[in-house]
Amino acid sequence: MSRADPPTGRAEAAEHEPAHRRWAGAILVAGLAAALSAAMIGIPREHAALPAVARYAMEVALPRWGLTEPVNEIVYGTRGFDTFGETFLLLAAVVSVVVLTRSRERRRGYFGESLAGRREQARADPAEPATTSERAARAAEQREQGQREPGDQADPATPDDTPLGAPAPETAAAMTVVVRTAIRIALPVLAVAGLYLVAWGYSPGGGFPGGAVLLGVLLLAYAGFGHRQVSKIVRPGLLEAVEMSGAAAIIATEVLGLVLRGSVSANWLPLAMPQTPLSGGIAQLFSASELIEVGTGLAIAVFALIGMGHDWAPDAASGSGDRGDPQ
Amino acid sequence: MILVNYLVAVALLCTGLYAVLTRRNMIKMVMGLSLMEAATYLFMISLAYRAGSTAPVLLDPPAGQTAQDLVHGNVADPVLQNFCLTAVVIGVAVTAVFLSVVVRIAQHYRTLDSGRVREMRG
Repeated sequence: MSRADPPTGRAEAAEHEPAHRRWAGAILVAGLAAALSAAMIGIPREHAALPAVARYAMEVALPRWGLTEPVNEIVYGTRGFDTFGETFLLLAAVVSVVVLTRSRERRRGYFGESLAGRREQARADPAEPATTSERAARAAEQREQGQREPGDQADPATPDDTPLGAPAPETAAAMTVVVRTAIRIALPVLAVAGLYLVAWGYSPGGGFPGGAVLLGVLLLAYAGFGHRQVSKIVRPGLLEAVEMSGAAAIIATEVLGLVLRGSVSANWLPLAMPQTPLSGGIAQLFSASELIEVGTGLAIAVFALIGMGHDWAPDAASGSGDRGDPQ
Repeated sequence: MILVNYLVAVALLCTGLYAVLTRRNMIKMVMGLSLMEAATYLFMISLAYRAGSTAPVLLDPPAGQTAQDLVHGNVADPVLQNFCLTAVVIGVAVTAVFLSVVVRIAQHYRTLDSGRVREMRG
């Protein structure tokens, strides 16, 4: 298959996207659709009885766990071991993202690494000069991110100090005063709603959605106020330590069941009254640890992606520079 | 007719798979994988549905029913709802891994076109 590059500049993949095995793909997908549709006709529908495992969960939720919400009982009780495994699958994914997105230099924060890293690289490896295309790509990125060279005109300490009409909004770190005010109102409501979901709801549980809501709170603050305002909280040294403490608390919760009650993920805490924040025994402990683990884990993954170091390889197609890292 | 939901889930899965098979832009391939994940969520939630059922919550049952009735009676399948909860979290994490791989490939090979990533050809 021939792909003719446009004469000027490098080709963007979106500019010309040739059909790629369109017919083979269509035939395979049609076959799969037919097979799956045939299978769907045979599976139980809305009038089938609940499976035995679901009936079991409904029966033990209130008497054995004091939880009025069987879904939470399943997440943290009956299928607690599965949730345990899932937690560490999430942790493995977060570690993969951190490994894939890390830059060459030692990491201090998720943002602004390229400025610190360039000085470090110049000291450690002066033999590697930046090629023209590399410099051009970095300069374009800096303009995009609104970063300024040291010694350039300084940003005010907080976005609220910015005089009206000063920098263009698309290069400013923060959003306009209208958006910032709206975020200041919405942010506490969202944070309280997320924590309420974890603390109570119908019954304890809800660490997973609560963690996702907390990530939303962080992202909202980041989008509205710029990275410098969230960089006190969103830094690897803090988030990674907090995430590991959440993971350690989950391991302790599960293993103490083995030590004290003879089976992993057994309840070893006294049951409080149903419909109170402490009902459900270890469910609340597990769920709160899960909140820490999921909230910080997703935050690490998302901010690592957002602040991903721009480690561009030299462009071999344009004939400038060599490939690969210098050894 | 919950069968319609099942078939829509199949259609969604096949749309995602078709995108993965025929697109060369790696971002679009990741979007295809996300569509396939969404199809599994729809399928599991539809599979949990029971005709005339209520939510699996043993609090404030609908008029004329007690919590005991709910335990033995007609509620949506809580186990499949739990599966869906699990799948959503894993889906987010896996998408993050895919995207970071795509960004690294784009930075290294200067293209998002998987057909131009020649060094990965066996």
